[in-house]
Amino acid sequence: MGQVRRSTEGKAWIHGSLRTASLVFASLLFVEARADDLLPAPPGSDAREIAQRAEDAMRSERTTLDASMTVVSPRLATPRVVRFQSWEERDTKRSFIRIQSPAKDAGTGFLKLHPNLWMYIPRVERTMRIPPSMMLQSWMGSDLSNDDLVKESSVLDDYSHRLLGIDSAPEGHPGRTAYVIEYLPHEEAPVVWGKIVAWIDRERWSPLQQDFYDEDGALLRRMRFSDVRQIGDRWVPHHWSVVPLDKEGYSTTVEIERMVFDAEIDPAIFTKRNLRKARR
Amino acid sequence: MGLEWRMAWRNVWRNPRRTGLTVAATVFAVFLVILAVAISVGMWGKIIDDSVGMASGHVTLAGPGYLEERTLEQFTYLDDALVARLSAHPGVVGFAPRLNAFGLLSEADTTRGVMLLGVDPLREASVSTLPGRVRSGRFLETGRQGEIVLGERLAQVLDVGVEDSVLVYSVAYSLESAYEIFQVVGTLGLPDPSLERSLALISLDDAQRFFVYGDRVSEVAIRARDSGQALELAGALGAVLDAERVEAHPWQEVMPDLAQSVIIDQAGMYMMLAILVLVVAFGIFNTILMAVLERKREFGVVLALGLPPRSIFRIVYLESIFLAGVGLCAGLMLAIPVVLYLQSNPIPLGDDEEIAAAFEMVGSEPVISAKLEASNPLFSSLTILGVALVAALYPALRASRGKPVDVLRSL
Repeated sequence: MGQVRRSTEGKAWIHGSLRTASLVFASLLFVEARADDLLPAPPGSDAREIAQRAEDAMRSERTTLDASMTVVSPRLATPRVVRFQSWEERDTKRSFIRIQSPAKDAGTGFLKLHPNLWMYIPRVERTMRIPPSMMLQSWMGSDLSNDDLVKESSVLDDYSHRLLGIDSAPEGHPGRTAYVIEYLPHEEAPVVWGKIVAWIDRERWSPLQQDFYDEDGALLRRMRFSDVRQIGDRWVPHHWSVVPLDKEGYSTTVEIERMVFDAEIDPAIFTKRNLRKARR
Repeated sequence: MGLEWRMAWRNVWRNPRRTGLTVAATVFAVFLVILAVAISVGMWGKIIDDSVGMASGHVTLAGPGYLEERTLEQFTYLDDALVARLSAHPGVVGFAPRLNAFGLLSEADTTRGVMLLGVDPLREASVSTLPGRVRSGRFLETGRQGEIVLGERLAQVLDVGVEDSVLVYSVAYSLESAYEIFQVVGTLGLPDPSLERSLALISLDDAQRFFVYGDRVSEVAIRARDSGQALELAGALGAVLDAERVEAHPWQEVMPDLAQSVIIDQAGMYMMLAILVLVVAFGIFNTILMAVLERKREFGVVLALGLPPRSIFRIVYLESIFLAGVGLCAGLMLAIPVVLYLQSNPIPLGDDEEIAAAFEMVGSEPVISAKLEASNPLFSSLTILGVALVAALYPALRASRGKPVDVLRSL
């Protein structure tokens, strides 16, 4: 809410400033995003480096994750809860996800061996290749896409980065300040977003909020991160919420139950054999 | 009165060659107008019927917002009351409920995103041409579970045939994952290759179970007597249905591109025909004016003898109407049999691949067909007669005006 209100205020502010011609040159650079609140970044800050640190806060070379996902929708009387485990190896772009519940989906697995994604459904004992065009389809009925889960696109390699300025952290992070980074996808990047604007904690480097815009500049989806807890030297948000702004009444939250960075992962995890070896 | 008619008729044939040429031009124009309109009506009618036979019928009943979104979120119901209402409606030839959803079809390493259409195997035949397009195997049968019919090209891409099985995966209305192995029982040959690559049919019962959709349906496709009745039928149904739950859309709203093509094509055709009629109008005008000018002396004499100018005006007018009328009659007698023949014997356009591809784009077959509607010759006749009336105005006025003394002295 706060962000939406601020953005309309920002517009009024811009118009007012244009009228009075009192626009300060420094803030000209940040006109398009909530110009009123943003402070200029300290000299020497590098947008890509900040993006890299934010990425490193949530991922390591080998990361494992236990999480539960809750999907809320006007279609559902009670929220749908999906528990899953994930294994990821960053530089080889390999990842593996196993669904643990609900019972109907238990054992379902996703294996990504770049650039292919396979899905295994134990109940029918079939492996299905998910074509790249389906990367952006809903994952397990949630407001997250396949790509959000298996991370085929890279926020570092598929986007260019621009530091818009410094802002107070979004709601739920009192007293903290954040870098505001704009991610613009490269021409051929396998993404649908027109741009992403991310709030990144200035000291802890954890992502606090991400706004996803379409190509016409309309805000489509907002991801908020909270419950930031320290794991080793990382500050990791354990509660993620995704709200699609074009679908009323829908939201998805992910609750991290356990996250291990720089984990030991048996390479055999990332095999089709393992995919088909569902524990039911 | 009878005298005027006789005189006019004889005058028409005083210069047989000139009259003959004008009549020939009129015949040609009438023939062309009737044929062009009939072919346009016939071919577009066929294209529209073929298209709606592949799609959502002449009229589509659907929940609010369905046309724009086309997701599981927009739905309606085909309840007993609606079945009774549609069955009783005289303008409804057939109707069929459908469930329309996106799904993934997979076999071995190949996966394709497809349009999954849940259909009622019995009712479907009363609306669409799909059941008649079986290439191999058979169509879905009522009461059988887990059967799927694929577009022929889709079956080729997945490398499956009749009796093979495919995995269907999607997200149900309940947001659960939906997956099931379906048995391929048949393939369909469809005129539109892209549709043939992306269409899969299962029974409505299976679809409602698969998508956890209850009694909901995406749309009810309705076949009207012909495409021309769609607007009226949609209006009539829309007026009696609960707009909160269901809207009636004529095919023009469901397929706006096609409707636009029809309008653009027909506008172009009518423009050409208007030019043709204009040329004929000048031909008639020229003939009558010449006939009047060379009979100046004659008109002077009959005026001097006491024939009222009104009669002369009428005679000239009758001449023009006879001239056009003869051409019109001959044109009608020539055009109508040709059109009727074409209507019952469409001409295939040969094996030219480009032409075939162009027709396939709109889901139709490459034939020249025609359809004669009563309005066509009626409209043509009125146009030609109207032209004759306008064209004769100036010559007739010219012939009937002036005093006999002046006319005779000027010679």
